[in-house]
Amino acid sequence: MLKKGDVILVIAVIALIAGAFLFSNLMRNQDAGKDKSAEIIQNETLVRSFDLSKVTTPEDITVTGKYRNVIRVEQGRIRFLEANCPDQVCVKTGWLQNNGDIAVCLPNRTIIKIIGKAENIDIVSY
Amino acid sequence: MRKLKVLCLVLLISILTVSCTQVENGYDAQGFAMGTVITQHIFSANAEKITGKVLDKIKQLEKIMTINAPGSEVDFLNASAGNGKWVKLDPEIIYVMKKALDFGARSNGAFDITVGPLVKAWGIFTDHPKIPSPAALVQLKKLINYKDLSIDESTSSARLRLKGQIVDLGGIAKGYAGDVAKEIYLKNGVTSAYISLGGNIVALGSKPDGTPWNVGIQNPRLPNGKYLAVIPVQNKSVVTSGDYERFFMKNNIRYHHILDTKTGYPSDSGLISTSIISDLSIDGDALSTSTFVLGLEKGMALIESLPGVEAIFITKDKKIYVTSGLKDIITFTDDGKEFTYVEKR
Repeated sequence: MLKKGDVILVIAVIALIAGAFLFSNLMRNQDAGKDKSAEIIQNETLVRSFDLSKVTTPEDITVTGKYRNVIRVEQGRIRFLEANCPDQVCVKTGWLQNNGDIAVCLPNRTIIKIIGKAENIDIVSY
Repeated sequence: MRKLKVLCLVLLISILTVSCTQVENGYDAQGFAMGTVITQHIFSANAEKITGKVLDKIKQLEKIMTINAPGSEVDFLNASAGNGKWVKLDPEIIYVMKKALDFGARSNGAFDITVGPLVKAWGIFTDHPKIPSPAALVQLKKLINYKDLSIDESTSSARLRLKGQIVDLGGIAKGYAGDVAKEIYLKNGVTSAYISLGGNIVALGSKPDGTPWNVGIQNPRLPNGKYLAVIPVQNKSVVTSGDYERFFMKNNIRYHHILDTKTGYPSDSGLISTSIISDLSIDGDALSTSTFVLGLEKGMALIESLPGVEAIFITKDKKIYVTSGLKDIITFTDDGKEFTYVEKR
């Protein structure tokens, strides 16, 4: 049989865990509406990350490699502005502004994306 | 002593709880391999390690199968073309080539992995694609015939009949890699994940809440990521071939990367996009190219001959055709009503 002290200990620890669990969920849900973080990745390495909701003045970031990409960051959105790669697929993708949006410059191995999950779909087949 | 046991138990519970919260949102990983971007989304406590393992494996497959960088095993096969000697190859290459020959026969040559000489002549996958002269294409077409590739499984070797013939696994290797990725997930206890290899999707299981994965089908005339339909899938591969993926424009003509080996030119079958939903991604990869080249009628006939395979075809005149197994689950999201949905059989 458990002693009274054991029972209290178990209850206390379980309550603590439950509390922490609820708290972390609560924090996540609060973040969901506001936080919009974007990442610039090249050659599988993180170049820069932003909280797009906190960008006040637009900024251009240049990423060089085999080619050159200019990435425009504004409040709430990000895009490939210019590139000297042959296919221009990255520039044609346009603005990213929703969770889960992604644009890729394959020739320069550059990825820009907004962290999170798209609302209606998980992934696009192309 | 008992206190210790109780504490251990409580600690165990707390560790499990914490790891569960880490797994809850899934883990995303992106990398480059096989000339494209690989996206993985998996639910596992070991997500980082497992996604790394998968990317490494795909890079290893690329290394032995590519013809876009020197020194692969397939390069050795091509270099020996016509000299009569059998070339020993990795069993994985043998498996992929056997599958490719099977689809070559099923599609009556619409899918042909000996397309290499044409791919090289058009400069596909280079930064400088070009239009070969009609005379050059006539000569090169003589080299294209999947029946000239012989495979000896007992010795894990193969050979090409004519000098100058080139096997190009570009139309099937990503599909195979998707199947291998799924195996690695399963081997590591992952039950919920998807991987995209340049738009070839393999969905493992369902989402952690038990609902299916929602896969969007790219709108062939809008930028990457804009989709015109959504299909819910569980444990399926979704592979799409389109004329928008790799193309160049010259004199207002779109030259895309899916070559018709009968004409030597980019396929002009009336289809601009084909999506295949199947159990194996290697099948989907071969079939999306096959049907793209075969066109609507012959393509549909091929899909119907294969149990458990579904398809979505989009024609040049912007009509969408789907197989019967999809018509009740597909959702159209084409707000502009640019495309019309035609129910097919």
